[in-house]
Amino acid sequence: MNIQEILIFSENPDTLVELLTAGRTLFGPAGGRVTAVTIGPTTTEVARDCLVRGADQALVIQTGAASLPAENGLVLGLLEAIRATDPDTILIGATRTGTDVVAQLAQALEVPCASNCMKLRRDEDGNLEIERRVYGGRFTATQVLMGRPQIASIPPNRFPKADLVQEAHGSIKEVVVELPPPRIRVKATLPRVRSAVDVTKAEVIVAAGRGVKKVEDLSLLDTLASALGGVLAGTRPLTGDVDWLPIDRRVGLSGQTVKPNLYIACGISGQIEHIVGMKGARTVVAINNDPKAPIHAEADYSIIGDLYEIVPAFLDAYERTKRT
Amino acid sequence: MTGTSDTRPPNILVCVKFVPDPNQLQADASGHPDLARAPFRISTFDENAIEAALQLSTRHGGHIFGVSVTSGQVPPRDVLLRTLAMGVEVLYLIKDEARLAADPYRVAAVLAAAARAIQSAENIPSWDLVIAGEASADQFNAQIGPRVAMALDLPAIAYATKLELQHGRLIANRATDERSETLEVDLPALVTVGTEINQARMPTVLQVMGAARKPIREIVIEELPGIDLDALERRPSLRTIDISAPPSARKRIVIEGQDAAEMASHLLSRLGTDGEVKF
Repeated sequence: MNIQEILIFSENPDTLVELLTAGRTLFGPAGGRVTAVTIGPTTTEVARDCLVRGADQALVIQTGAASLPAENGLVLGLLEAIRATDPDTILIGATRTGTDVVAQLAQALEVPCASNCMKLRRDEDGNLEIERRVYGGRFTATQVLMGRPQIASIPPNRFPKADLVQEAHGSIKEVVVELPPPRIRVKATLPRVRSAVDVTKAEVIVAAGRGVKKVEDLSLLDTLASALGGVLAGTRPLTGDVDWLPIDRRVGLSGQTVKPNLYIACGISGQIEHIVGMKGARTVVAINNDPKAPIHAEADYSIIGDLYEIVPAFLDAYERTKRT
Repeated sequence: MTGTSDTRPPNILVCVKFVPDPNQLQADASGHPDLARAPFRISTFDENAIEAALQLSTRHGGHIFGVSVTSGQVPPRDVLLRTLAMGVEVLYLIKDEARLAADPYRVAAVLAAAARAIQSAENIPSWDLVIAGEASADQFNAQIGPRVAMALDLPAIAYATKLELQHGRLIANRATDERSETLEVDLPALVTVGTEINQARMPTVLQVMGAARKPIREIVIEELPGIDLDALERRPSLRTIDISAPPSARKRIVIEGQDAAEMASHLLSRLGTDGEVKF
């Protein structure tokens, strides 16, 4: 078997060096090479970071545009990178942008792609075998990609960042791509609010879901989080278009993967989006008045009840026990 | 319906998937999903897609068609009719009994061919907008929308949170991980939507009754024009070798109690014993 040629891309620099780690786990018996792709005007620094973390090559796609090209531009840039490297395997970071890009790219190449892979390995035939969550997160599908190239997307924070190496051996190659005028025009853009708290490092997390009716009610859960020395996080509906919480406090597929000792899910139904992000918690408590909510299957302790009654009662009990 | 704005009444195609309801899906004795016992439903985000189409149609007139590739067994009629009860005018089913469209690449290729076939059968000059849910509730691949856009050579806006039509253009808000954006694109275009964009309507009893009079048109996949199934079959594939429930290490203890205070104190003592709460 030939050495594995692996292409990695994410528009998010942190995710890109996580993919570098993922790519290295997929080398065959004859070894492999990882080429990191960056696209856009200010990405040479990102490419350099990949090299000092051991990438075999960095491909900088220069588009002439002053900013990150829209999704279609990223697809065209990646097609150019694929022409230049002829990869066996392509790994893309499953951010929202990456999820959109990888599907368009795979369709342009007329090949399948495995989305949001939690685990990846080579099977006996050298094909990429992956695991991903399906049916609301309660089932795991094992799938095999056949043919070439084999494309998979991987959620952010799934793999550790590649460590710095003693000596970078790869080099940067620049490729200039002429993009057609973008069909989608950006009229306005706002950065999403960031918070000072890093939920991925918290030992206790109180997480709020759609069962929380008003933004003011989050203070109740924040009080619980503070009492237990933890932080407040939330699900997609609360960190989506309603910015009740900053997006970096979103736990789930499109947000953070957390590993606290204690995770208290309040008013969370337990969609796939969410479950995937909190699987690694040591102890999970679910408070939800719907006995059928899937979150209960993912919990060590469930209370079928109203969070507006249970949380104050729990705080009460906690303060009382603390005094005695 | 008549247009009440500067925009030509749009022809909208909504991609719909019927899925076994993940919330009612159980594992069988061997740990595999017991699909036969889970009722079908419209995939959650596809309900938002239908609702988004209805809201545009209320303002601008036009027509809403639905298209779905049914893999294996066709869902029960009442589930199909729900799309029509919500307001879709005609539902096209591409029947794939042999499951030839076995992965998102193939489903998207079939949907793109279906979009062209429906356009021609219904004498539609051009689709103005194709709307899809951002991901399906069962497989959650999040691929179909962007793939169909690529196959139909349409510009795609994924994760739209607001849609407006103005002078033959679509203005859309969407949120990526990093930014909230307002985007503008000339029609035709494709968008994907999730729960953020709207609250999908519950059809009224009258609408449910009326739905029975609306057409469901079936096309057997082998007879769908504009697609070479043999050539599609020869392309690389994504093969599912197993679907099973991961063994849960969770205790799954339901805390009982007379009232909130009792349940809360039982929970606290459990967490105290486990060492997860310190006093």
